Amino acid sequence: MPTLTIDNQKITVPEGKTVLEAAEELGIQVPHFCYHKELGAVGACRMCAVTVQEGSSKGLKMSCLIPAEDGMVVTTDDEQSTTFRDRVGEWLMLNHPHDCPVCDEGGECQLQEMTIASGHGVRRYAGQKRTYNNQDLGPFVAQEMNRCIQCYRCVRTYQDYCGGRDFGVMGSRNRVFFGRFQDGTLESDFSGNIVDVCPTGVLTDKTYRFKSRYWDLQEAPSVCPHCSLGCATIPGGRFHELQRVRSGENQLVNGFFICDRGRFGSGYVNHPERPRQARNNEQLIGMDEALRQLDVEARGLIEQHGPEAVLLLGSERTSLEANWLLQQWAKKLGCREPVLAAHGPRHQAAQVVAFDLSDRLASLEQVRGSDLVLVAGADPLAEAPMLAVALRQVVRSGGQVIVYDPRPVELPCEFDHQALSPLALLDFLTAGGSDGQHVRELLQHAESPILVGGADLLGVEGLQRLKKMSLELSNDQRPCLIYPLLSNPNSFGAALLSLPEQDDLLTRLETGRVKMLVCLESDPLLEAPESDRFSVALTKLDKLVVLDYLPTPLSVHANLFIPTRTPVESDGTFINNEGRLRSYAGVLEPGLPISVAEDGGHPPREFSTVSPGSDPLSASRILQILLKDDSSLVELHQQMVADFPRLAGLTGLTPSDAGVRVADAAARNVVNIDLPEQPVGTLQLIVSPARYGSDLLSRYSDKLEPRFSSAWVMMNSQDAAERGLQEGDKVILDTETGSFCLPMICHPQLAAGCALVENSAALASLVPGAGISYCEVSREVSHE
Amino acid sequence: MHIWRDLRGTVQPFWITLRNMLRKPVTVQYPEQKQQLSPRYRARLILSRDPDGNERCVACHLCSAACPVDCISMQAVEAEDGRRYAAWFRINFTRCIFCGLCTEACPTLAIQVTGDFELAGRDPLKLVYEKEDLLVDHCGHNSEYNFYRQAGIGVAAPRGTNSTESEPVDVKDLLP
Amino acid sequence: MSDPLLTLVLILAKLGVIFGVILTLAAYLVLAERKLLARMQLRYGPNRVGLFGLMQPLADLIKLLTKEDFLPARADKWLFLLAPGISAVTALLTFAVIPFGPPLELFGKTVPLVVIDLNVGVLYFLAFSSLAVYGIALGGWASNSKYALLGSIRGLSQLISYELSMGLAIVPVVMMARSFSLTEIVMAQEKIPYILLNPVAFMIFLISILAESKRIPFDLPEAENELVAGFHTEYSGMRFGLFFVGEYINLIILGSMVTVLFLGGWHGPWLPGVIWFSVKVLAICGFFIWVRGSMPRLRYDQLMHFGWKVLLPISLLNVLVTGAILLGMG
Ligand code: SF4
Ligand code: SF4
Ligand code: SF4
Ligand code: SF4
Ligand code: FES
Repeated sequence: MPTLTIDNQKITVPEGKTVLEAAEELGIQVPHFCYHKELGAVGACRMCAVTVQEGSSKGLKMSCLIPAEDGMVVTTDDEQSTTFRDRVGEWLMLNHPHDCPVCDEGGECQLQEMTIASGHGVRRYAGQKRTYNNQDLGPFVAQEMNRCIQCYRCVRTYQDYCGGRDFGVMGSRNRVFFGRFQDGTLESDFSGNIVDVCPTGVLTDKTYRFKSRYWDLQEAPSVCPHCSLGCATIPGGRFHELQRVRSGENQLVNGFFICDRGRFGSGYVNHPERPRQARNNEQLIGMDEALRQLDVEARGLIEQHGPEAVLLLGSERTSLEANWLLQQWAKKLGCREPVLAAHGPRHQAAQVVAFDLSDRLASLEQVRGSDLVLVAGADPLAEAPMLAVALRQVVRSGGQVIVYDPRPVELPCEFDHQALSPLALLDFLTAGGSDGQHVRELLQHAESPILVGGADLLGVEGLQRLKKMSLELSNDQRPCLIYPLLSNPNSFGAALLSLPEQDDLLTRLETGRVKMLVCLESDPLLEAPESDRFSVALTKLDKLVVLDYLPTPLSVHANLFIPTRTPVESDGTFINNEGRLRSYAGVLEPGLPISVAEDGGHPPREFSTVSPGSDPLSASRILQILLKDDSSLVELHQQMVADFPRLAGLTGLTPSDAGVRVADAAARNVVNIDLPEQPVGTLQLIVSPARYGSDLLSRYSDKLEPRFSSAWVMMNSQDAAERGLQEGDKVILDTETGSFCLPMICHPQLAAGCALVENSAALASLVPGAGISYCEVSREVSHE
Repeated sequence: MHIWRDLRGTVQPFWITLRNMLRKPVTVQYPEQKQQLSPRYRARLILSRDPDGNERCVACHLCSAACPVDCISMQAVEAEDGRRYAAWFRINFTRCIFCGLCTEACPTLAIQVTGDFELAGRDPLKLVYEKEDLLVDHCGHNSEYNFYRQAGIGVAAPRGTNSTESEPVDVKDLLP
Repeated sequence: MSDPLLTLVLILAKLGVIFGVILTLAAYLVLAERKLLARMQLRYGPNRVGLFGLMQPLADLIKLLTKEDFLPARADKWLFLLAPGISAVTALLTFAVIPFGPPLELFGKTVPLVVIDLNVGVLYFLAFSSLAVYGIALGGWASNSKYALLGSIRGLSQLISYELSMGLAIVPVVMMARSFSLTEIVMAQEKIPYILLNPVAFMIFLISILAESKRIPFDLPEAENELVAGFHTEYSGMRFGLFFVGEYINLIILGSMVTVLFLGGWHGPWLPGVIWFSVKVLAICGFFIWVRGSMPRLRYDQLMHFGWKVLLPISLLNVLVTGAILLGMG
């Protein structure tokens, strides 16, 4: 560990750290552009100059490039370095268009900051400025190339780190250009990150164009609610409007970056149809009145018809606190325990993760550091996009990624793919075939192997087999950890709180004893399979109560509707797929955005103490009111920890923390599940989430609309040929849920004997994770 | 102890005030006589136009950031030609202290002070000025500056045609 | 007319005259102060209402009477309403014992030009000037505002501190006149006013009453630039007016006390006594205004330091020395 002196202060840093990083640790800010913690240094900008007074090579050096040496003496504020940085600042500004007032980066621009830090102030160069023509990079990223300082951060992020291929650097001498070969939408699912890394205003968020200045934004550390990974985000809002989301930093989870779904999927908060007022059937009522009615009616029904009369439904996208409070409310009402997730099979799979796998879960950081990752039954880009980027880091550092999945999986890196049908995949996990043996051998010899498993496709059975595999592959030197993918931001939390082996929603509804159903931020019509069974069950209810912040179809049917707050408007906690408690802080108060309320005009000219649409309360607040409980979040957490000792990590957890793992659980008995026999001539139906618009929040996000896919059914080219079908044909897909008329596409890499559809707004009734089922595909009979 | 100094310090002011009392007052009898205000007098603010007659303000929020009493608010939007301008722009003159910091912050010379200080009224809302009330039809103190002709992003003139710029480069050209 | 009735009528008449004169005087003192301050600062001062602004006090009165009477939320209602009254009434009542002219012969009766010639007039004065503290203390407390509270606390401690040296400055006068009656004190100065006999007591008294009247340089209880308006921050309309008027009545009273105790009261050559008395009082008031135009405000610690460590020892010493001299002279 070298010890060096920087500006007369001594510091010891680990081997391999650069002088720039050492200085940063001392609190000395050396101006820099191209160095980035995650991307490292390339020495492109020459801004970080310091003078080495003592060391193996003396003189003016780029601090981001020289490693710290023992006994080194470095000065950052000597004449030579400061003049040099001043000149660099001046030359980086030579071609700058001087348009900060109309640049969205202004206020959070490193070029502004570093130019000030470098000391450059007055332009002396009288020559012409170089200019570029801009490109249209699609709906997410705006480009203004004249502002570029050639730090290469964008390319290093887009290509090197995230594995995008359609954005790069071109040109020569002082004409280098950062963009695509031609105008067009950026293809990568991580394109938004170049907005965060670009230290200037070349690449800015198009969806946030001219909306606010950084200093006017309300921001707070939050958690991405769009998949189960729980990446750190920093949403920013103003005038009651959520205007943008940028990535937060969490080394244990996402590192520095997030995916486009997390970044641009925030439109649900400002959805134009978002219900913001409580309703009794058609009639708008106040919040107090709505809560009073709910309380009185629930108690009345239980008195009259017993504990079965009221059924409370929690959710995998509502906070841990709200789910727990829902259980407390059930106790107080004297009704049966709540169901915490509408989607029964998914919930059961999540319970396997939350209980049986809890002692062998890997973090995303461990995935990035692994040398061999087996991905079984998961499509990272669709189910957990940042995992795909993590897998790329595995490959970049010399590791290997092997994917066993029926779908034609794409990853932003090199990997081996075997297309196995879901049933074959289960066999593979129990070492079936030479393939299984071979992969096991590879994993046996790996230093830090990780098994990634998608809960949707593997189901309870598959996850249990994965666990067995992991146990077999672990040895004294190292464990073989599992990285499971769940479906919702708080799937783990809901599973952890629920009783194992409780009846699922439909079973209980169909008994007919339930008079009132209270859905807390959950819409079984969209989020659970068998929506038609559910629709029928709904008709048996006397009263349907919905508490939600989305304009879901169920909320339209509700007899009593109560608006709640989105995660960016409330404080709460999620548990991510690897059992990490991740808490988030509210950014905004709910309310109708001024831009909507005033239709782009100025704010109202009357004074009022309430703003329109400010009724919604957070789900946990509503439940606290129903429980007549006034405890603070900290007190609530204490009670939760007392109730569920596994949640001990909640104590002292803040939204800016990286998050704490829940305690391990004792393993439960393994239940063997009989797999349904495949009828002859059928195909295995695979319902996969679409990359965009499958999770409800992004489905209600207008910014993502350009990325929504249409509905189709995909078949292996051979299967299609056998049935005499061709790409583009309209076909009938016959499933247990119903028949669908869809265009057919062929893909050679889809596992044989399978039909693949994507769950999205265009095909909402087929929900992933429902277990193994079979379907028929036939040509549409024309009615001519 | 500086007895002499302290004594003098106590007595001298009495002498000064006594002398003042006998001097001729300099008060201007305001409503009848108007004072000649300095051209830099800081009172009601305006939003001026550039020499081409376009709105100067680009809704950059710098004035609102500089304002010590937070009385400026606005929303920026983009016009067809890429011009950034204020969809609405509000100054609450009941709060404004006429410090002029906003005008110093303004990079486009849009917001300017005028000598109109007679703002008193009985209805506070009348002092909340919207963009229509603020926008004038002249250039104010400066009749030359046009931000978009300096900033090289191709709004007032095509890209690369401002006086200080060269033609956009051909990025596919590999000639040295 | 029967004697008691006549006495009553005379007392009432005197009261009426005094009320009228004092209130008018207070009002015009305000005007004078504003005018004089303005001239010291090279402005005109109020000059719009009437000739030279002479109707300004009337305009002020109308303004004060028509302004909203405001009661702060969570203020102590009754105390809040009472305090300005206490302030104005105690000031007015003090005048009862002040002899403002030589006794008159009227209807064959000697009418003393004082409302009641108490033989303990000095004590009466001291008692009432202590009562005036309540106006400030209660007003500031009842307002439920931090500025008002701070102001009234300052006022309390300042008034109590300076009352001490004020009382001690009167003791030599009483010793010299051998009477507590103010009329007799004036009589005793027929030849030489006490200002010449005991200038130290005069100086101490003058400084102490500046502090008593809460005027610059001792206006800490209402220091505008620190406490908004101090103890009367929350008052508006005529309630504020009462505080305001009380302050100026107090000014007249204190001027009268200086005149009575040190300047020989109504004594003076050629002119009638009442005129002499008024001239002397107005001169003192003018001096107060002049002080206000010329001096800065003390800091709180300076105020306390000066009161307890300078003024009090000197006044004690003065009592001793005067006593010794009087003893020596037999
Ligand atoms: S576009 Fe931005 S990130 Fe890329 S080189 Fe230019 S300044 Fe750097
Ligand atoms: S990977 Fe998942 S949690 Fe992370 S940003 Fe993307 S959608 Fe959000
Ligand atoms: S003059 Fe001062 S207070 Fe008024 S708007 Fe400008 S910055 Fe704000
Ligand atoms: S600083 Fe000038 S250009 Fe910017 S918003 Fe204010 S008035 Fe407009
Ligand atoms: S940060 Fe070192 S050269 Fe850019």
